Amino acid sequence: MLVRAFHKEEKVSKLIMFHARECPHCRAMMPHVDRLEKEEKVKFERLEVWHDEKNADLMRSYRPVIAPKCGGQLRTPTFFCPETSDVLCGEVPYDQLKDWALKQG
Amino acid sequence: MKKYYRCYVCGDIHFGVKAPEVCPTCLVKNAYVEISSDEAERTSRPTQTTMTRTEFRAAIERFAEKNEFQVNADAAKVETLFDGIFANEQNHGLKYCPCRLRTKDFNEDLKLVCPCNFIIHETYKGKEDGECWCGLFIRRKK
Ligand code: SF4
Repeated sequence: MLVRAFHKEEKVSKLIMFHARECPHCRAMMPHVDRLEKEEKVKFERLEVWHDEKNADLMRSYRPVIAPKCGGQLRTPTFFCPETSDVLCGEVPYDQLKDWALKQG
Repeated sequence: MKKYYRCYVCGDIHFGVKAPEVCPTCLVKNAYVEISSDEAERTSRPTQTTMTRTEFRAAIERFAEKNEFQVNADAAKVETLFDGIFANEQNHGLKYCPCRLRTKDFNEDLKLVCPCNFIIHETYKGKEDGECWCGLFIRRKK
């Protein structure tokens, strides 16, 4: 007999963090991202863009959506939700990142 | 469109939309003649083409000295940025900004070569504690 665990599947929104290895803002945001993933039902795909051309091309493919919200440029870090096309960029306080991430759910 | 010009007296090369009236090196007037990019490349190749971190550091210090900003005193941050700038030069050809991604449109990406024209960045412009997007340059305290 097939036994199925019927628990409500928790919705985890898929978010992307475009970051660069030598970008100080990205380094400053990493602990916030770690904390957010631990405390909330949020998961970020962390994509490094200066040392990985595939990730860079992916970020560039979102340029029309991302750039207008980030001073016309592709800046790091950029937090991006492909589903909602919502963008947050730069070094921000933990609560701002949290509010943004939870809003995407 | 930007073109190359060479001073017929001292050989200085200028890259711009028009030739300078006075050569900044030998001070001769109307000395610039237009040349091809190929000639410009060939005439400038024998000069030193690589720059060490120490030389780059000295160059941006000299550059900042006469301006209203300075190189960030946070040495660890500057080192991290230098790692990125030099890695980008090695992997992608130019000293691209480590906190922004190039678009692959060459002319557009020239705006990302460090030091960039950061005084127009919203992180700098009109801000007392303004800094370039990466924080390599910060406004000098009065
Ligand atoms: S933002 Fe700062 S580090 Fe980046 S290119 Fe401009 S001056 Fe250099």
